[in-house]
Amino acid sequence: MVHPTMYQYDAIDQQLVEERVAQFRDQTRRYLNKELSEQEFLPLRLQNGLYVQRYAPMLRIAIPYGMLSSTQLRKLADISCRYDRSYGHFSTRQNLQLNWPKLEDVPDILAELAEVQMHAVQTSGNCIRNTTTDQYAGVISDEIVDPRPYCELIRQWSTFHPEFAFLPRKFKIAVNATESADRAATQVHDIGLHIKKNEAGEVGFKVIVGGGLGRTPMVGVTISEFIPRADLLTYLDAIIRVYNQQGRRDNKYKARIKILVKALGIEEFRSRVDAEWAHLRGKESTVPMSEFERLQGFFSEPSYEALDNNPASLTSKLADSAGFARWFERNTFEHKKAGYRIVTLTLKKAGQAPGDATAEQMHKAADLADKYSFGELRVSHEQNLVLADVRQEQLVDLWEAAKEAGFATPTLGLLTDMICCPGGDFCALANAKSIPIAAQIQETFNDLDYLYDLGNIDLNISGCMNACGHHHVGNIGILGVDKKGEEFYQISIGGASGHDASIGKILGPSFAQEEISSVIQKLMNVYVENRSEEERFIDTYRRVGITPFKEAAYAKAN
Amino acid sequence: MPKLIKNGEIIDNNNQWLQDADQEVTASSIVAAQKWLAEKDNIGHIAGIWLEAGDGVEFLNDVDLNQFEVIGVHFPAFTDGRGFSYARLLRERLNFKGDIRALGNFIPDQLGYLLRVGFNSFQFNEDVDLEKALALHKPFSVAYQGDVADPRPLFLRR
Repeated sequence: MVHPTMYQYDAIDQQLVEERVAQFRDQTRRYLNKELSEQEFLPLRLQNGLYVQRYAPMLRIAIPYGMLSSTQLRKLADISCRYDRSYGHFSTRQNLQLNWPKLEDVPDILAELAEVQMHAVQTSGNCIRNTTTDQYAGVISDEIVDPRPYCELIRQWSTFHPEFAFLPRKFKIAVNATESADRAATQVHDIGLHIKKNEAGEVGFKVIVGGGLGRTPMVGVTISEFIPRADLLTYLDAIIRVYNQQGRRDNKYKARIKILVKALGIEEFRSRVDAEWAHLRGKESTVPMSEFERLQGFFSEPSYEALDNNPASLTSKLADSAGFARWFERNTFEHKKAGYRIVTLTLKKAGQAPGDATAEQMHKAADLADKYSFGELRVSHEQNLVLADVRQEQLVDLWEAAKEAGFATPTLGLLTDMICCPGGDFCALANAKSIPIAAQIQETFNDLDYLYDLGNIDLNISGCMNACGHHHVGNIGILGVDKKGEEFYQISIGGASGHDASIGKILGPSFAQEEISSVIQKLMNVYVENRSEEERFIDTYRRVGITPFKEAAYAKAN
Repeated sequence: MPKLIKNGEIIDNNNQWLQDADQEVTASSIVAAQKWLAEKDNIGHIAGIWLEAGDGVEFLNDVDLNQFEVIGVHFPAFTDGRGFSYARLLRERLNFKGDIRALGNFIPDQLGYLLRVGFNSFQFNEDVDLEKALALHKPFSVAYQGDVADPRPLFLRR
């Protein structure tokens, strides 16, 4: 059984994923029989998350807005053992990627996923992708409302949308529901939705459009300050209908909505969307209150107990164990309910690629979820797993178990909690490897005291301009580039993905692989020398500018 | 005789889709919409007009479309999805009642979506096996969104 505080498929949802499996099974059969050409099969398989990579196909499995039950995670572990090499890679958009499935096995994999209400629908291709949100949705105190019912509404609206399956380019939507943070990087999505309430207390969305990474990174711009929730789908239809008709199709590097918004200017783009919306607003796709209530019903609170904060078992361990205290400080987060805590199980252990989890670790995480967190997990944008509802009195036990499984590296948010794409080790698109860079940084910066002293720093690594590792919005971004057949790395600094989203600036000429750690070290030295108290790396950079960092990075050795 | 899929059946195609501007126009022709608009006073009765990807539909706002039996929508590549919006706008906004015909490089695996946005006839490229294509017309028995056949999203029917 899937955990009861997630969306549960009814017979219709189930029928749709099963029909999708049958459709894809037939498409795969016709491709293998040569009835479908390579060219025809390509977009069809992409719409089901299947790439052909450097060595093997890659299958991207959707984890809608990052929510997973322990049953689903066990199924993923099991699939990775039977059809792949017993591990998976959690991506920045809350999905799971298998790097070694056989093409002819994919229909069977999809059939197994359907058994646990999962799929790979629209995880790739030029269509509306998996909607993402805050991994702390529903369990933090300063949330305006729980974003997950709205994410599910968007999931259903976007799934097999007949008009928008062949857009100019991929289309990503992310939802944020708190003013204190933006953990879903909404401003660098094609559409970012910020849930808010108007003066009358009605729920709606600030809508941001035209953000995105890739070759031309841009922070999105506000197209509407407030769209009432009932109008969300008609407004999304209007935006995407304008984009579908007017977005560029002559050059894939200029085909994202950000290029259209930039070319027209936000005023003109808004007026075209409004003209379209005038025809759609109030029509059948207006969402009735009954549907919001139905969806909200799935995300009711689990059966919390009445507990107090800071039980003795916690406070005494915090006093006795520096290691535990460190983990508590970094890897756990305040919960809305007294006596509970949100725990991140980090997938950033030295020696393991960021975001990778072995089948054994997936089983272990599923067990921990059952034992400590109502059988439910979330996947974060930073490629970690989250147990959202852990009793504080159980934190010590959980910490011990997490350490044993390699989930307790107490570096959440620190320099070595890197976002990293699979890179040239797996990906056919990559110019350079990214995993060895992550490994080098993990090995070099292994002194926890030093990492703590440096504080919050986002370091993001992409193996090519497609920017799957979000290097543009890392405080430090590393981009793999190809120079005459050799792998080099361009470093940028000053990017950010939260409410203060910004695109990093390139430091200068690229570096050889073996130089990366020493360059990062020089950047850290500049930060430490220049910072004022409480200043994060990004704050210091914003105050002093790029010059001192640049000078240090390129200074000749004495 | 070339064939069409229309309203779920394979039938003879009695129309000529005029792709070149200098082809002779007859009563069974489907003429490029821009050409027809520019020269309509000199063009007599025709079966219909066709839209090129990039045309949009707004330039037809003031035209009585129901004078045509058919409006074609050309797919220069099957990955060019502009025609999906055009068909929907022709049905839902311009209230065109006649045939909306897919032309060009669309593929049988798109039939389900094409039908949902308002296409009802399909002039496939010659190498397509129409019997096999017909079998792919309804991959899903239910849909989350409203569409031309039923404008109510699933949440109004659930």
